[in-house]
Amino acid sequence: MAEHAKTHALPSVSVILHGGEPLLAGPARLRRVCEELTSAFEGIAELDLRIHTNGLQLSPRYLDLFDEFDVKVGISLDGDRAANDRHRRYADGRSSHSLVLKAVELLQQERYRHLNLGLLCTVDIENDPRAVLDALTELDPPLIDFLLPHATWDEPPPRPDGSPTAYADWLLAVFDRWQEQGRPVPVRLFSSVLSTLSGGPSLTESLGLAPTDLVVVETDGQLEQVDSLKSAYEGAAATGFDVFTHTFDEVAAHPGVRARQLGLAGVSETCRRCPVVRSCGGGLYTHRYRSTGPSGVFDNPSVYCADLEALVRGIEARSAAALVAPAVAEPVELLAAQQDLTRTLLARLNADVGRRGGEQWAAVWELAATIDASEEGARGLDEVLAHPYTRSWLLYAMELAQERPGAMQVARRMPVYLAAAAVRGGLDLPVRVTFSGGRIFLPGLGELRIADAGERGTALVRATEDGFLVRQEESDAAELRVVRPEAAGPGWRPLRRLATPGSAPGLVLDDLDPYRTCFSVPATDALDDRAAADLEARTKEAWTLIEAKAPGRTGEMAGRLTTLTPLTRLAPAEPAVGRHGYGALGISPHGSAEELAFALLRGFRRAELRALCDVTDLYAADGSWEHRMPWQEEPVPFSRLLADTYERMALGAFEPSYLEGVPQALDTLDGAAELTISGKRLLDQMRKEI
Amino acid sequence: MKTSESSLSFAVAKKNRVPLAEIDVRGTAAARKLGRVHAASAGRPTQASTFNSAL
Repeated sequence: MAEHAKTHALPSVSVILHGGEPLLAGPARLRRVCEELTSAFEGIAELDLRIHTNGLQLSPRYLDLFDEFDVKVGISLDGDRAANDRHRRYADGRSSHSLVLKAVELLQQERYRHLNLGLLCTVDIENDPRAVLDALTELDPPLIDFLLPHATWDEPPPRPDGSPTAYADWLLAVFDRWQEQGRPVPVRLFSSVLSTLSGGPSLTESLGLAPTDLVVVETDGQLEQVDSLKSAYEGAAATGFDVFTHTFDEVAAHPGVRARQLGLAGVSETCRRCPVVRSCGGGLYTHRYRSTGPSGVFDNPSVYCADLEALVRGIEARSAAALVAPAVAEPVELLAAQQDLTRTLLARLNADVGRRGGEQWAAVWELAATIDASEEGARGLDEVLAHPYTRSWLLYAMELAQERPGAMQVARRMPVYLAAAAVRGGLDLPVRVTFSGGRIFLPGLGELRIADAGERGTALVRATEDGFLVRQEESDAAELRVVRPEAAGPGWRPLRRLATPGSAPGLVLDDLDPYRTCFSVPATDALDDRAAADLEARTKEAWTLIEAKAPGRTGEMAGRLTTLTPLTRLAPAEPAVGRHGYGALGISPHGSAEELAFALLRGFRRAELRALCDVTDLYAADGSWEHRMPWQEEPVPFSRLLADTYERMALGAFEPSYLEGVPQALDTLDGAAELTISGKRLLDQMRKEI
Repeated sequence: MKTSESSLSFAVAKKNRVPLAEIDVRGTAAARKLGRVHAASAGRPTQASTFNSAL
């Protein structure tokens, strides 16, 4: 095991002592096992050592040993006394329930609590689901999981009332009780479904498409597939390998092991076409077994298929409102999530630069915290961070910091953002910035020429009531004053604003920011006054056109589309969205007002969808399936179908032919397995638009 | 000075604001958040044991 971990540079390996009943090995043998494993992994990988027991033998003698080697302990308990005694009695009929409770109590003691993994409960639908959950949560475990009893198509699970969803109904009753209780303990089965519904990974081998990365080492050294397979048929788990003559790579290449690592390709054809497959994953491999039939013995849906689908849909119906990302439902929440993302990127940049940035970075970061701590400063910083190309710089800086430790370029650039924040917030706080090319660019504000082209150095920027002052350090040059930064002045070139009709706040024409080069095509040089005036006139006209053809759309665009940047090599009606924050759009500086209107509308939709995808998971496993778009022969991944449909719905206002096929596309999207709960909400909103 | 580009931005300014120095940047939630726009920050996926028959 250690060899395997070393070969593959695994950061950690979980070893679970499992049975039968592993405590029957006795403390002396378990000590040898723990010693051997601990020393083997020393310096190679983190060892996550666990044991799973029925608890009957658990005593301080064992727990002291487990404490010494940090062996975490899970206990099987099927619920209340009646539930437990249904399958867990001694041979003479005595109940084992009180002994299991004693074991749980012992594990809950302060000295052993850190070893407690929780309780594993096997479902029996004869038990009262509410009483089972109550009994388990009463013991205050850190985690609970429910296991479906092992069954196959050859030996189906008991269904006393004949219901095809009896197990789902039972588990959903537990779910409802769990909700009533306020979800006091995580339940792995439920957490897994909630995770996959939101676009995350599955959390248990019995659900989802995550590869199963486990192998069983029998006590005689045989390497086997997962133990549950034994319930399919005699020898089902066998690989023919053993630890004495085979490596774990060899067992990993065994077809039976590989089959459970193939994700979507490892489930049956029926499952691959099912919309809940991302959550159920075709169920536990063992439960798919059928000895006869046209398919392979495991190439079937689970014998619990109807239950799993009802369980996933039941949890979805009960949780959808709570799981939908607020950003999908409310524009203001999208802005909040975008702001939160940019702030997290900034904080992560600090963590990546960290100590390697030296005193210079420490001082810059302290200044950022100071600015963020005051109301005016926080407002200024929010505005700077909301500027789309601040995100572009942050992403570039993070790559630089991760590639080249120290990355002093990062530290040198950060102060101009802080200076812009101080100026915007009107903070009387000098900020030392570096400049090159004789110019300082304050993001979102404009550019100040403070020296001859080609000169570089440092300068102090200080906000005033009506603008800011800049003094070059180590120079006799006079202090420069910029009054009303929104207007041009000597040496000062502000970012222009493109007015739009009505009360809309207008758009910033950002043709100066050095990080506006975040599109797939190059940015143009700064526009001259004439070109800018021409673009403003066309923007007004385009805005009016959109207002006339798509009433209400300009209301959505106002305040959400904030920044236009002219790009080269772009057709006049084609917009571009790049690697930047929310609100920017790349456009061609040429073309007619009609073409610009088309570009703005299409670009706005593209930017909206991108902004949503930046902060939430609308779909998962993109590319695992192919979809047909009604307007194109070639199949595409889900993301492309969604993006095209989203844009076409808006463009239909300009050209009705864009709406052809949209209802069918929406149906395709609706039935796709990639869709998450947030994605479904977006789809609901799209349906209301048409 | 009036520099706002978005009429909505101030509505969100104080919402759930965590001071810069206290923002979680290494946890699972942060990795997922950052990973959507910066793949390298998603980190190597680490997964707890998914073995069905034990916790």
